[in-house]
Amino acid sequence: MSARYTHARAILGPEMSERLPETKVLLVGAGGIGCELLKNLVLAGFGQITLLDLDTIDLSNLNRQFLFRKKDVKKSKAMTAAQTAGPFNPNVHLHPIHGNIKDPQFDMEWFRGFDIVLNALDNLDARRHVNKMCMATQVPLVESGTAGYLGQVQPLLKDRTECFDCISKPTPKTFPVCTIRSTPSQPIHCIVWAKSYLLGQLFGEDEDAGGELDEAEKQGENAQEIATLRKEAQAFKAVRSALRSKDKSSNAAKMAFEKVFNSDIRNLLSMSDMWRSRAPPVPLDFDAVKKGTFVLRGISATGPATNGSAKGNSNGHAATNGQSGASGSGLKDQRALSLQENLALFVSSTERLAARLRAGEETILFDKDDDDTLDFVTAAANLRSAAYGIAGKSRWEIKEMAGNIIPAIATTNAIVAGLIVLQAMHLLKKSYNTLRNIHLQFKPTMPLSAVMISPPNMSCGICRNTYTSVQCDPTRVTLGEVVKGILDGSEREVSVYEAQRVLSDPDWDDNNERTLESLSVTRGKFLTIVDEEGEVATVEVGICSLPANHSGGPLILPSPLPDPPRKVKVTVPPPSTPPKKRAAPDDEEVTELEPAMKRLKTNGTAEPNLYTPSKKRRLEDDGLVLLEAPNEKVEDDDIIEVD
Amino acid sequence: MSAAASESQDIETVTTAVSTNPGRRGQPDNKTRRYDRQLRLWAATGQAALESSRILVIGASATSTSILKNLVLPGIGHFTILDHHSVTPEDAGNNFFLEGPKSIGKRRADEAVRLLAELNDSVEGRADHRNVEEVLNSNPQYFLEFNVVIAHNMQPALVDKLAKYLWSEPSHPIMMVVRSAGFVSEFFIQFHEHSIIESHSETTPSLRIDKPFPELHAHAMSIDFEKMDPTEHAHVPYVVILVSALEDWKKSHGGNPPKTYAEKQQFKKRIQGMRRKPDEENFEEAEAQAYRAWTETTVPSEISALFKDSGLSSLTPSSPPFFQLLSALQKFTQESPHTLPLTSTLPDMRSDTKSYIHLQTLYKRQAEEEKAKFKSLISEDVRETIGDEMIDLFVKNAHALVVMRGREWGSFDQDRAALAMDPSGKETAKLATHLAFSALSSLTLQHQTPTVAALKAEVERIAGTDVELPEEQLDAAVGEVARAPTADLPNMAAFLGGMVAQETIKMITRQYVPQKGYLVIDMVDMWTGAVGA
Repeated sequence: MSARYTHARAILGPEMSERLPETKVLLVGAGGIGCELLKNLVLAGFGQITLLDLDTIDLSNLNRQFLFRKKDVKKSKAMTAAQTAGPFNPNVHLHPIHGNIKDPQFDMEWFRGFDIVLNALDNLDARRHVNKMCMATQVPLVESGTAGYLGQVQPLLKDRTECFDCISKPTPKTFPVCTIRSTPSQPIHCIVWAKSYLLGQLFGEDEDAGGELDEAEKQGENAQEIATLRKEAQAFKAVRSALRSKDKSSNAAKMAFEKVFNSDIRNLLSMSDMWRSRAPPVPLDFDAVKKGTFVLRGISATGPATNGSAKGNSNGHAATNGQSGASGSGLKDQRALSLQENLALFVSSTERLAARLRAGEETILFDKDDDDTLDFVTAAANLRSAAYGIAGKSRWEIKEMAGNIIPAIATTNAIVAGLIVLQAMHLLKKSYNTLRNIHLQFKPTMPLSAVMISPPNMSCGICRNTYTSVQCDPTRVTLGEVVKGILDGSEREVSVYEAQRVLSDPDWDDNNERTLESLSVTRGKFLTIVDEEGEVATVEVGICSLPANHSGGPLILPSPLPDPPRKVKVTVPPPSTPPKKRAAPDDEEVTELEPAMKRLKTNGTAEPNLYTPSKKRRLEDDGLVLLEAPNEKVEDDDIIEVD
Repeated sequence: MSAAASESQDIETVTTAVSTNPGRRGQPDNKTRRYDRQLRLWAATGQAALESSRILVIGASATSTSILKNLVLPGIGHFTILDHHSVTPEDAGNNFFLEGPKSIGKRRADEAVRLLAELNDSVEGRADHRNVEEVLNSNPQYFLEFNVVIAHNMQPALVDKLAKYLWSEPSHPIMMVVRSAGFVSEFFIQFHEHSIIESHSETTPSLRIDKPFPELHAHAMSIDFEKMDPTEHAHVPYVVILVSALEDWKKSHGGNPPKTYAEKQQFKKRIQGMRRKPDEENFEEAEAQAYRAWTETTVPSEISALFKDSGLSSLTPSSPPFFQLLSALQKFTQESPHTLPLTSTLPDMRSDTKSYIHLQTLYKRQAEEEKAKFKSLISEDVRETIGDEMIDLFVKNAHALVVMRGREWGSFDQDRAALAMDPSGKETAKLATHLAFSALSSLTLQHQTPTVAALKAEVERIAGTDVELPEEQLDAAVGEVARAPTADLPNMAAFLGGMVAQETIKMITRQYVPQKGYLVIDMVDMWTGAVGA
């Protein structure tokens, strides 16, 4: 025992290290960083570790997620990791959970049960969620990420350091609808089309895609083009039913091909205005391509589709990984496919997907590790590229572009996990002066850069709010009761939101008599109470369950009640353009103070002032920048990804 | 069917195999899938290098097994652990690649190899129970079976002896010497020469705007901006705009590009003036890229420095391919226009597809021509053996080639002048830490106990009088080394395992630029830095 915990004792001192067996750690994610971290925590002697992950093991994890073996593929990551690491130290209590951190039972009460939270996540959405929960409960958090040889570690604690949302994250690249749907000019446009549009139209939920087009029309995109696209959407119904038909002779793949690569393109060509300054697309002929007799822009269907041309060809993956695309060398899914081969791949993947529908799968979504969907997207994107005279891409390249794949290796994860444990120990010991944001960088003479932590951004819409929670029965308690209870008789005027939904405002109290459940405000969610005058900080009320043995009324208010600080009023000129949607919380004042605030260094002792959230954040939250597709997973575009 | 192929297939088979099932054509096998995330970093060439590597690790410490874990996972070819010790209770507590109490008393090499080999069944692992000292005395050629030898906290006398032997021939394996004590550590890579074609540099090759090749020049001159319709005008690629604007400028400036700050601003104004509408993005790009017009395309100084490398002056037909190619490159640059061969990679830019493709074709054609010329400069006897693939890669990366010359283990500490030169400003902490390690080794050699006082005296003896180390930094460094001279803390081991394996991979794959000199790490104050680079 004594040798085992030397490390922890050296950093934590004898008193803290005695407490280590009782220290409760939440580890979110059992991927690349998660596996390394779990091993380090077990070796260091952390006694109570809850490990959560919603994912299952894939073959491509095994080059770094060392707690998994080939026989474990498709099993739960959390369960398997715990099984492998657990026996190493029998004194450690491991609680693996195969679940989503956003599930309702993981509410504020649950988070309060931990001494520290460690994020080992791979997407922006979950990171922001855990950040908010930790800000709400004041549980210290260590955030981390890796991308290839690069990585970073960031300790976070409410009121001491900036939070994950204090600096807005780069917004994912988006494309206008018409570029995707009718005038692609780069390979990525065709890939997005195949993945986010065509796959959904044929194998996704049967939904009216009109919403996206309505939105595009509002944004002022070409009205005639939109009308054509609407017609096109209607015609998908026939193909969808053929794909689901038990009748094998229906030849649904050919039908789908002829619709999207022939008749839809003919329709677009009929709008001659569009092609005045653009090269027009060429409709593809199924039978001729199949036979190899189709000649596209002077090139036979059996030749590689690459000489079709184009932009984007030069900055693709070929440049970064040293593969020379032109010579046709490299691993075999890295080679360019001919038009004929793409057609064969389109037919075979469509048939495989259709067979899955007939076997009972209701909808099929894109998954980079699902070969059927990846083959479909590869073939469809390349066929579309060929029609538009854009260069084709190999399956390998398309996987990376469509799946937002970030390179990931064992070494970087090991380095980052080691740094996380160190920062976690500093947080537990409350030695805030030693906290550092650490970057693993490309610099042979200085691989790590450690910088002092920054104070909270005073206009942060997450960590500058005042958090509290109520225990209640949402089926019985009304909105009005909760809000009145939290305000404690104060007469100030407020608006109440759940996420982006307005539930009440000073001139509209229709919902006050309704139960929380009828308003879909349930366990794990937050009620956001915004001061109408903007003079008092926003209060966020986390909804938790009543205690198991509770026999009284449907609501237990927090004690003491929240006492949100008064804001330092900043005078700002009104926004030049009115918001397009119903206002989000806190948007009366828009302050753009971040640049000045961002680079203030501190040892974690600053007392921050309170301002309103930044406009940029709010716009992102409203989804105004997202034109790509309704079901596009934007979080995957985060700059630094972990797993 | 390839999907069922075993993971232990060699890379050549995977690279050349073609599936016979047309429906599944283009799908990768299990091996490619397993390594997908790393192939995107170092590609098939790097993976092939890893798979043919043979690694020897001396001593199965927690740090050693952490290093190995990070090399077995990405798929090295072979590893041997040379260790004659048995597992102690301390080992069992801090080494994840032992089976806890069950392993106590068993041979450390056996236990570690067994558990590490489980991580990847295409990696071959071997345990060797002999005493490293005996092997070194009786059969030093044993070490030549490997490409890399890694030694963590090895006895100083043996490190010195082994390092000396490995240094005696440039073709001998490289050696990684790793030392750690509590929260401080350092590691050193001993190698003679390390050449890198794929350095993955972030600098981009020149587009030759200032020295347009004849076809590019003719194309730019043929563009009549006046006669274009508005759409065409807004889609002329910035390369063409800049070549055309520069030509114009030179006419009124005695054939010279913009030189002074004022002239450069004036040049940018001209580009602004060429716009028809304020929102023409291609002209915006041209303005942002205007520096390309006045930055003369020459051979970058880093590359011309390579032409003075001893690998060139002593070139023979049996020299490594890299230097054969470097020699051809030197000849290439000696002829007009005194640049590196053009690369065909044109960056993304605002343009319509047609103009972009036309421009791309011009660059491609010229690049092919220059590559052919470059090839003709490679001496004939070696051209065949080098092969087109390597030549292509070399030309593509000609602007970012790297040759590193290493030094012998321990030589830096003997070099008083270098020691005195090294500390600069606040960076003395890393030198203090390095010297604390050297003092520890030296005291151990003299069979003395490494007390704080003894370590400090030894640091002063090694460093001599010209090195000034702040008292506070020296105390901190020496203090940590004295406190835990052999402590192999699990979290430090995990971290160091990542760092050392990372550099080992860079060395084996010859991709990315590895560290030089001693990399010193202090996890108390949280910094890293190079000494004696």
